[in-house]
Amino acid sequence: MSSDIQDQDSGPDANLDPDAETGATPCAYTDYRSGEADGDLPATGAEATGLEAAVWDALYEIEDPEMPISIVDLGLIYGVYVDEDGAATVDMTLTYSGCPARDMLTEEVEEAAAVDGVEEATLRLVWSPEWTVEFVTERGKDDLREFGLSI
Amino acid sequence: MAAAPDEFSEPDDLDERERTALETLCKRLADDEFVLAERYTEWQVRAPTLESDLALANNAQDELGHARLWYDVLGDLGFEERDLIYERDPDDFRHSTLVERPFEDGNWADPVLRSYLYDVAEELRLEALADSSYPKIADRVEKIRSEEGYHREHAQNWLERLADDEESRERLQATLDELFAHALTLFEPCAPPRGANEASGDKPRAVDSGIEADIVDLGLRTATLDELGEEWLSIVVPYLESLDLAVPIDGDGDDDGFEVTAAALPDERGRDGTHTDAWAELYDEFTHTYRELGRDEPTAIMDAPE
Repeated sequence: MSSDIQDQDSGPDANLDPDAETGATPCAYTDYRSGEADGDLPATGAEATGLEAAVWDALYEIEDPEMPISIVDLGLIYGVYVDEDGAATVDMTLTYSGCPARDMLTEEVEEAAAVDGVEEATLRLVWSPEWTVEFVTERGKDDLREFGLSI
Repeated sequence: MAAAPDEFSEPDDLDERERTALETLCKRLADDEFVLAERYTEWQVRAPTLESDLALANNAQDELGHARLWYDVLGDLGFEERDLIYERDPDDFRHSTLVERPFEDGNWADPVLRSYLYDVAEELRLEALADSSYPKIADRVEKIRSEEGYHREHAQNWLERLADDEESRERLQATLDELFAHALTLFEPCAPPRGANEASGDKPRAVDSGIEADIVDLGLRTATLDELGEEWLSIVVPYLESLDLAVPIDGDGDDDGFEVTAAALPDERGRDGTHTDAWAELYDEFTHTYRELGRDEPTAIMDAPE
């Protein structure tokens, strides 16, 4: 994958000052706005057509196991490709290398990607560029805020 | 540093030399992470405070995640998780003996010091893998680095507090005397994988320095083990001495720096296929459930309900 990394400060302003009411400060060990956005990421399938669009639609239905957010809006899907023989390939990453739900999620994705017309779906786990919170879509940020997360 | 690396083949076109180098490198990386995590988890519910318990459990989870990333690369050579862990001959593991040593009950100085010695080495070797000629290796480095940053900070934070108390510093010193030689094996070359060639690890100590040379010549890693070892010593020796600990190594580091010498190494070195007795016990323990249940597939412990 080409990783045309751009230094793009598109994220919301994380408030690292103490909360005015409670005086609470964010955990110093969590970087609330780490990472850079990537030229091609987050990928959302907005431009996809035909079978690829159908696969994206199916992937939108899959939620992260811990939070009520689609794995697409979370920015885990880096690409969907369907060739002329109907072989689908999904490039996907995980937020954490030690994710204990890896097998569950990857199986779910492979199953979902096998939409009508797809002969075979293969998932490729990719780790570069590494996932950052900048890959969450605007809709995903709304979902996470509604869930009670500060993003 | 190595000369311009030879071109490395695509996963499907690897020749014998490339396969052996790739397998040897990934096994030493993955085995270190996996076995260290197995040991760390022994502290779960036993660490001195709830926070330190959570921290070490979390570090263990990180290392398991990284072990999985390195074992995944071996998928290109046809290996699966069960071949690499649960059904693997214990003599084929290539981790450093540092990570297999048992903990003395209640000696918190040990996981703290072990983590420090290991994590400094891991930082250096990740740096030397960032420009690996094998894209799958290079691709993983940033992910792992981003999850490693606080391990060393956690260890140093504890080391400095422990060294500030007389009894704790004595424990640290005793632990350093015990662990230091084993830590030096982090920078030892590996015996070939079992069955790889005539000088294979079927015979302990059959270290083939040609494979280690290939790892660097083929650009899989961009620094030699000697370079990594010397750099590691130049960091850990002054730091530990600054805590009033005596590092069991000859030389003063003023002129040519320190180097890893054969005399400083323990009898068993892990990398060469020889292990301390503690390894056999640990291996039996983490494969116990797999064997007891008669499994032949690690990722499905139970059949999914209809």
